[in-house]
Amino acid sequence: MNTICGWEKLLEGEIPESSVNIVTGAEGTLKSGLVFSILSNHIAEHDDHGLYITLEQNKESHLKNMSSLGIKKTDGLHIFDYQDMPAESSDREMDMMTMTREVIDYYKERYGSLTVFALDSLNALYSISEDAHLRDKMYHFFTGLRDKGLTSFLIMESSSPGLMPECHSSERFLADGTIELGIIESNGAVKRYIQILKMRSRKHAMEKHQIIIDEMGINILGPIY
Amino acid sequence: MKRSVENIADLCESQEDYCKKFIDKIIKTNREIFILSSLLEKQMCGYDIIKEIFSTCDVFLSQGTVYPILYTLEEDGIINAEYSKGDMRSKKYSLTPKGREVALRDIEEFIKALEQISVLIKR
Repeated sequence: MNTICGWEKLLEGEIPESSVNIVTGAEGTLKSGLVFSILSNHIAEHDDHGLYITLEQNKESHLKNMSSLGIKKTDGLHIFDYQDMPAESSDREMDMMTMTREVIDYYKERYGSLTVFALDSLNALYSISEDAHLRDKMYHFFTGLRDKGLTSFLIMESSSPGLMPECHSSERFLADGTIELGIIESNGAVKRYIQILKMRSRKHAMEKHQIIIDEMGINILGPIY
Repeated sequence: MKRSVENIADLCESQEDYCKKFIDKIIKTNREIFILSSLLEKQMCGYDIIKEIFSTCDVFLSQGTVYPILYTLEEDGIINAEYSKGDMRSKKYSLTPKGREVALRDIEEFIKALEQISVLIKR
């Protein structure tokens, strides 16, 4: 999986198949755009299927945002939102982890060639989940994604670069890869950057690289410093 | 379809859990048919479909197994989704003309299949 223009500057080879990757960063750092692009481009190249679960906004609003960034959705990419569920069933407690597993199982069963998955975002999932045994549940959730053969991207918002909320730091240990996105001031200009902090079984650059959006979509340029 | 599931509760009273086990499995495996059947009469939101199937069939389908079907049926042009009046968070689903044809055909085929299975298994 090597589908973003300039990705080869960050990583030697492709993102490993069936790996679980955390994509973290503050708001406005292109987390959703990057992940949506990776999935969409991968599906277009390989003619298989992917699932993008958005908990923070509904499908229509997510697509509108992607379109405003010039990012197109390919046919095999299915978007699932939870927007009308909590509103309808406020009287029932929902186990969001189980529900998410059921949703993935359905798409996997329906589209045998479902190979890529994204969850936007883990923070939103936690905020509407029962808290008990969350660590255990996360371990099994990550393992389940690998067992299903899904190359996965879990978006996690963090308030400042390099930091995840203390209670959620275990995800970094469980994940195969951590990709950080951020905003930095360099030479008097404000720039967006991407940095791979961890990618099991792959050599990767450690530097922060500039990331931009142009008419070709998301594009990774050289190191910032 | 409605006719075939109306008496499930009565049927189960005599056979208790043993019978229910199979009904549960059949409905959960073929939940798309039951969702389409629910939408034949009126437009409904996802949670109302779950409640209707529960009240008519005594089988609880979780939201994680119903909503993905609704979304794919919408993608395939079988059902329409529109937000409820005054509530931009809850969608009401209804069959499209093509969806109504598909639903009636599939329900018919499903009933035929059940009848055939019943004949085959008794011989």
